Amino acid sequence: MLKYIVRRILEAIPTVLGVTLLSFVMIRAAGSPVRILLGNHYTVYRAAMLSRSLGLSKPLWDQYVIWLGNLLHGNFGYSYTYDRPVVGLMLQALPHTIIIVVVAVLAAHVFAVFLGSVQAYFENTKFDQIVTVVNYFFYSMPTFWLAVLLIIFFSIDLNWLPSGGIVNAQLSNPGFGDWAKHLILPISALFLVSVAGWARYMRSSMREALLQDYVRTARMKGASEFRVIFVHALRNSILPLITLFGLSLPVLLSGALFVEEVFNYPGMGLLYWDAVNSRDYPIIMGVTVFIGLVTVAGNLIADILYGLIDPRIQYR
Amino acid sequence: MHKRCQTTLPGGAVLSNVLEVDSLSVEFRINGEYFHAVHDVSFHIESGETLGIVGESGCGKSVTSLALLRLLTKNARVSGEVSYKGRNLLDLPDREMRQIRGNEVSMIFQEPMTSLNPVYKIGAQISEALRLHTQTTPRRAWQQSMEMLRSVGIARAEGVMGEYPHQLSGGMRQRVMIAMSMVCNPQLLIADEPTTALDVTIQAQILDLMRKLSKDLGTSVLLITHDLGVVAEMCDRVAVMYAGEIVEQGTAKDIFHNPQHPYTRGLLNAIPKLDAASKERLQPIEGNVPSLTRMPKGCHFAPRCPLVFEKCRAEAPGLFRVEPGHLSRCWLNDAQEGN
Repeated sequence: MLKYIVRRILEAIPTVLGVTLLSFVMIRAAGSPVRILLGNHYTVYRAAMLSRSLGLSKPLWDQYVIWLGNLLHGNFGYSYTYDRPVVGLMLQALPHTIIIVVVAVLAAHVFAVFLGSVQAYFENTKFDQIVTVVNYFFYSMPTFWLAVLLIIFFSIDLNWLPSGGIVNAQLSNPGFGDWAKHLILPISALFLVSVAGWARYMRSSMREALLQDYVRTARMKGASEFRVIFVHALRNSILPLITLFGLSLPVLLSGALFVEEVFNYPGMGLLYWDAVNSRDYPIIMGVTVFIGLVTVAGNLIADILYGLIDPRIQYR
Repeated sequence: MHKRCQTTLPGGAVLSNVLEVDSLSVEFRINGEYFHAVHDVSFHIESGETLGIVGESGCGKSVTSLALLRLLTKNARVSGEVSYKGRNLLDLPDREMRQIRGNEVSMIFQEPMTSLNPVYKIGAQISEALRLHTQTTPRRAWQQSMEMLRSVGIARAEGVMGEYPHQLSGGMRQRVMIAMSMVCNPQLLIADEPTTALDVTIQAQILDLMRKLSKDLGTSVLLITHDLGVVAEMCDRVAVMYAGEIVEQGTAKDIFHNPQHPYTRGLLNAIPKLDAASKERLQPIEGNVPSLTRMPKGCHFAPRCPLVFEKCRAEAPGLFRVEPGHLSRCWLNDAQEGN
């Protein structure tokens, strides 16, 4: 098992390197940060000076090698716009992202598994049909638009919840309650979008499992329908969802980009968004490396969970 | 239909019936219309005996067996009466039905390869039956399951308890299924083609095992099969099914030595024999089993019957008594016809 994990990590190194090389080249095609940084103070001379001091006047290949060398020493570089180490900025943003992603993903997973299973059991009843329509509604809705709708409805019309940020600046001593209030809408947006897709997978997977012979055996033994679904069929039908979980991890941890942008929520997504807008190369590259690592980790976690759930899978 | 809960033998001993099935019918909905898969089937199983139900694939024998424990899919409509210890299983609330399943009446299936849950250990799957029906500790249930595995002839019981189904052969899995269905010491075991998917040598072992267990534990057996050889070896009484109906019923001796229904005779003629005259060609029954949606109007067997006459096509025969306990669904056995 340990050997398997080590091998998978070693295999992932070229992939991650490839991703960094690609983004390193491609982000430079999007334009230089010099003009943005200088703004109204732009002159050709200043631009050349700044370019030089940022190391952008060197050949591209040299820039990449220097960046990579620094990375291997744990140095992600300095942000152009914040003038602070990228690691510090990422460590500041990450907990905010983790909190909404973990809550939304866990809640969405549990709920989607439950909803999809029950739908499969009551296949083609009115209940199933209504839930399917609602699912499609959320599944086909763009995240950012859903987020905007939530703001219009809950923040503007009803005035129940704050529309963005993580803290109410007008409170002298904002506490846990204020913080939690700011989390509700971003989490809800992520939750609704995830549930809709996952429940559809779960429904079809559970539907198939319920037709298997071992389900009949479980009924023959005298197991209750609850036990038949949630003990016997569930463990067999949850495997596709584990894959989805692994695949969704990097997407979500790199910030549920649109949700954080719409809610002005200071997580990884917003950090990335702002960095792209100002061509802040070190941050962009830092987040890219992070996404690469989380992708590898997500796939590895999915594979390990697979083995824990299905004894027929063995690691070599 | 007459009711017969107990049979008094000449000596005064009383044999009670474990199960009485009275005019059981099963219909399936196909494109919004209901079609009979099983029609008006009645039989009983006496305590300790083995009743065989034989017939071709598609004759409704598996459907009958699944209907007894209400294990059919939702598009099936079941009517009639399945009386177990004086209670009609078809009317029982779900909770009470579950207390009977796996505990008093249990079942083994045709496909040992897919009938066990691939993601749980053998030990967990067998002891689940015990834990659902008895107030035993997990440890005792595990222990008892292991003993059950030993008594179904698995020497390596302790090791097998901790293994998963994919690590076992088909024969081993069917032994595990038998252990699972017998661990609560049921009154009745329904075996739906238990050996069809197995090699011939393994078949014989499994049949031996079932015979031994049912004798040792006094379990009645309802054996569903298409194999007359298995019937001859295992069964006290036999019901022959054709196109959803019982066409002949009697003791194994009646069926093998004095078959009445042309279908039964056809089945017996289709068995290869190893005696001197084996140069003869086998005699197949011409034609096919009619499909659910296209049942003939009169006798269901009429289109394939070598002895068919006019009345057969016009009117469906009832079950006529040939001798006490020996019934045949053929106009030729109608005493009033003077045959």
